[in-house]
Amino acid sequence: MKSNPVYKRETTVRSRSLRMPLIIFAFNGILALTALLNMYQTVAQVRTTSMIQYSTFLDLYAFVATLEFLLLMFIMPALTSGSISGERERQTLELLFTTKMSPNDIIMGKLFSAVEQLLILVASSLPIVLLTFVYGSVDFRDLGLLLICFTIVAFYAGGIGILFSSLLRRSTFSNVCTYGVLLFIVVGTYMLNIFLLNMDQIYISNMVLQPGMERPMADTGMAVWALLFNPVATFAEILGNQVSGGASIISIRSFFGSNTGSVLLKYWIPISLAVQSVVSFVIIRCAVYCLNPVKNEKK
Amino acid sequence: MLKIHGLKKKFGNFQALNGLDMEIEEGALYGFVGPNGAGKTTAIRIVTGLLLPDEGTVELAGRDALKYREEVKTEFGYVPDEFGMYDNLKVWEYMEFFASCYGMSGLVARKRCTELLEQVRLDDRADAFVDSLSRGMKQRLCLARALIHDPKFLVLDEPTSGMDPRNRMEFKEVLKELCAEGKTILVSSHILSELSQMCTDIGIIDAGKIVLSGSMWEILQKVNDSNPLLIKVYDRREEAIRLLRQDPAVKTISIREEDIMVQFHGDYEAEAYLLKRLVDGGIPVSGFIREQGDLESIFMQITNREKGKVVLTSEE
Repeated sequence: MKSNPVYKRETTVRSRSLRMPLIIFAFNGILALTALLNMYQTVAQVRTTSMIQYSTFLDLYAFVATLEFLLLMFIMPALTSGSISGERERQTLELLFTTKMSPNDIIMGKLFSAVEQLLILVASSLPIVLLTFVYGSVDFRDLGLLLICFTIVAFYAGGIGILFSSLLRRSTFSNVCTYGVLLFIVVGTYMLNIFLLNMDQIYISNMVLQPGMERPMADTGMAVWALLFNPVATFAEILGNQVSGGASIISIRSFFGSNTGSVLLKYWIPISLAVQSVVSFVIIRCAVYCLNPVKNEKK
Repeated sequence: MLKIHGLKKKFGNFQALNGLDMEIEEGALYGFVGPNGAGKTTAIRIVTGLLLPDEGTVELAGRDALKYREEVKTEFGYVPDEFGMYDNLKVWEYMEFFASCYGMSGLVARKRCTELLEQVRLDDRADAFVDSLSRGMKQRLCLARALIHDPKFLVLDEPTSGMDPRNRMEFKEVLKELCAEGKTILVSSHILSELSQMCTDIGIIDAGKIVLSGSMWEILQKVNDSNPLLIKVYDRREEAIRLLRQDPAVKTISIREEDIMVQFHGDYEAEAYLLKRLVDGGIPVSGFIREQGDLESIFMQITNREKGKVVLTSEE
């Protein structure tokens, strides 16, 4: 990637501005302050009650991880959705097409530079996340899984942004479309499942049961598959498993009803990560295809 | 260097190119002229691989440019009508960025950038940010950028639009230098007087096809042949008109102020004999000249279709 001119140019321009160091400083400053207050609270509690509330360290881990996830999920599209359309607006895209640069080089240069920008932020906050390690309960495997999830979501959200940027001429329109699609993926799939669950619950509560029959639990059927595309569902599941033993506020378990032994539920995290990786790959390839200036024309 | 044959391109119902045929010899500075919407930019975009035609062939440096689009990219440099600048880069960074887009790096790239910045007289602004350059400087930087990989063929789309006269003059000089170095240059422009001063060849496009092409000398010669002879006599004008009427090559005679204006269909030799007859007939001829045509008048004659005044075609 270092030899990709677009990537090199993006990193040169970025390293010149004060924006990135300021963002890193502000982001880590907030996290460090939160961690210090958290530790201060724990020590104060020990002094007064002689008891250590270990769960507060896990709360810190969950807080930092959630903040980083939201950052990746919602800042990545902002970085990528204007990247190609911005080149088009500056009239530099056609110049790049007349050089040896292929659409793939251009997309990869833009995408990796944006992903790198946010992963630097994640990496810089690792020391604060690692404070949790002092008291145990989260190990390197958990952290590794979280970082894999972050990387996939960065490419996923970034890929959607760059796809719209390749498709649309105006950065503003590309931005709106990217956030619209992301909102649909994140909120829409949940809403669909909640709606179907409620409908099923109404249906079940009106069922006439035979004597000895147990009232079944409501589920959303095949609609739960839609949540495989939802990175928030995956992240919630990972964090739920690591921090609260599987019970997260937005857990997907409730949508499975009595079908708790399902293979999909058992391997939800690897399956959803794999699905999102494949979708990211397809989206990025689509962006490369859309960027080709002579894609739809016959010779 | 460039051979285009039967190029057709349609955008919806609009036929942008309608069987364009064009040939540019190696080392030529080819002026590509036409009114707005004639198909100049479409043709240029096809040659540079940014667009595919519906029909036709494009051969660049002996290779099929439509089939080997990637391979011919190193053969040409392209300067679009809009510069395409990265304002947040310094001038040398901008040059090095495009050098790396052609696979050049390190000292080779740096040396080439320095050479080109000197050639376009921007070496003293190498450390300046691109957004601090004037329009003329940006245009010269864009030209240097197009030359970074040392292409044989340069394509410039309206390069001098919006430039002040000094910058236009400097730019023109740079183009002439490049042509003298052996580069083949295709330049589209609306400033016809400028093209006639620097181009070796010219092609006039209208409604998607070339209506007149050839060397600048040939074309000016063609238009001169259709221009009237202006004859000034000191005395005996009526006698002169009577003698002129006797020549079969004289088509019409009219009077414009002091001049006798003669539509004369003959070459230089016939002109000389006509003059001899007048002098032998005792007419005191004080002026005998063919009215000179310019590119602007040719352009106006050819493209003034609504008035039905097409007087020249390439077949003429």
